[in-house]
Amino acid sequence: MISNLFSMGNYGFFVWSSFFTTLLVCAIFYIRTRKTLKKYEKEFAKEIEDLSVEQKKVILENSKIASQVLSSYNKSI
Amino acid sequence: MIKFFSNSNIFFWIEKLTNFINSIFFIVLLVAISFALILSPPDYLQGDSVRIMYVHVPAAWIGLASFFCIALLSLVNFIFKIKNFNLISKSIAPIGLVFTCLAIITGSLWGQPTWGTFWVWDARITSMLILAIFYIIFILSYKLISDQKKADKISSFVAIIGSINLPIIKYSVDWWNTLHQPASIKILGASSIHSSMLVPLFLMFFVLILYCALIFLMKYKTEIIRIKKKNLKRL
Repeated sequence: MISNLFSMGNYGFFVWSSFFTTLLVCAIFYIRTRKTLKKYEKEFAKEIEDLSVEQKKVILENSKIASQVLSSYNKSI
Repeated sequence: MIKFFSNSNIFFWIEKLTNFINSIFFIVLLVAISFALILSPPDYLQGDSVRIMYVHVPAAWIGLASFFCIALLSLVNFIFKIKNFNLISKSIAPIGLVFTCLAIITGSLWGQPTWGTFWVWDARITSMLILAIFYIIFILSYKLISDQKKADKISSFVAIIGSINLPIIKYSVDWWNTLHQPASIKILGASSIHSSMLVPLFLMFFVLILYCALIFLMKYKTEIIRIKKKNLKRL
């Protein structure tokens, strides 16, 4: 059963290569995309933290996105 | 209605949707792969090599559909100047490129046992390669042109011109004598594939669509944060 699964009727190399390539490329693409998102979130949160208290207050009151990013960043650290 | 489509609202929904997709993704993936590699029967002519179809065909569909979306959004944006459409196109393009390349690679791996060659300058395969080139030009126009408005215009132009290639890809197997087989699944009309193979095919398609949605949401979120970051610098 298992050897049949691996050999795939002598097409094992082609079948497994196709699936493995697809999964590998998808995994790398996912990791890279997530890494970029986290990098931007971190940079954005840091820039907000670096603002003066008043500026920070104004931004957090007016921008839902800024407050969401900041809260998720604070949770992650 | 306009408020619903505001960036902050979209941002909120992205978070919710991403969590939902993450929670079901691996279960659906496991089921789809089990169907594709174990439960579905081998083809009477191609044997087990037919299983390559379960990654090749969805990848090609996604590659084509992504470019269709980009072209459509670019055309609408060209007329109505809706900024969000550029962000959406920009977020879809890398997904389309990855899946077009995967369709070419897996197609090549299917070609060797079926046709006896990894590559042939066949109309379908060549037009898919041209699609990948259009994706690369589209993405590069954003990377290389620093002026945002100019980049938007050029990329929209590339997408609209590239859309001419889409019907060529679709009908290449009918218009020319090609090694590539004609479409077995038709939107209008009966499919020539048995349901025991259609189920894993659509399951794999569903998994890859979920994956694309996940990547798209992350890319779109990145674009929104990038804009907000720029606005912050203006303070």
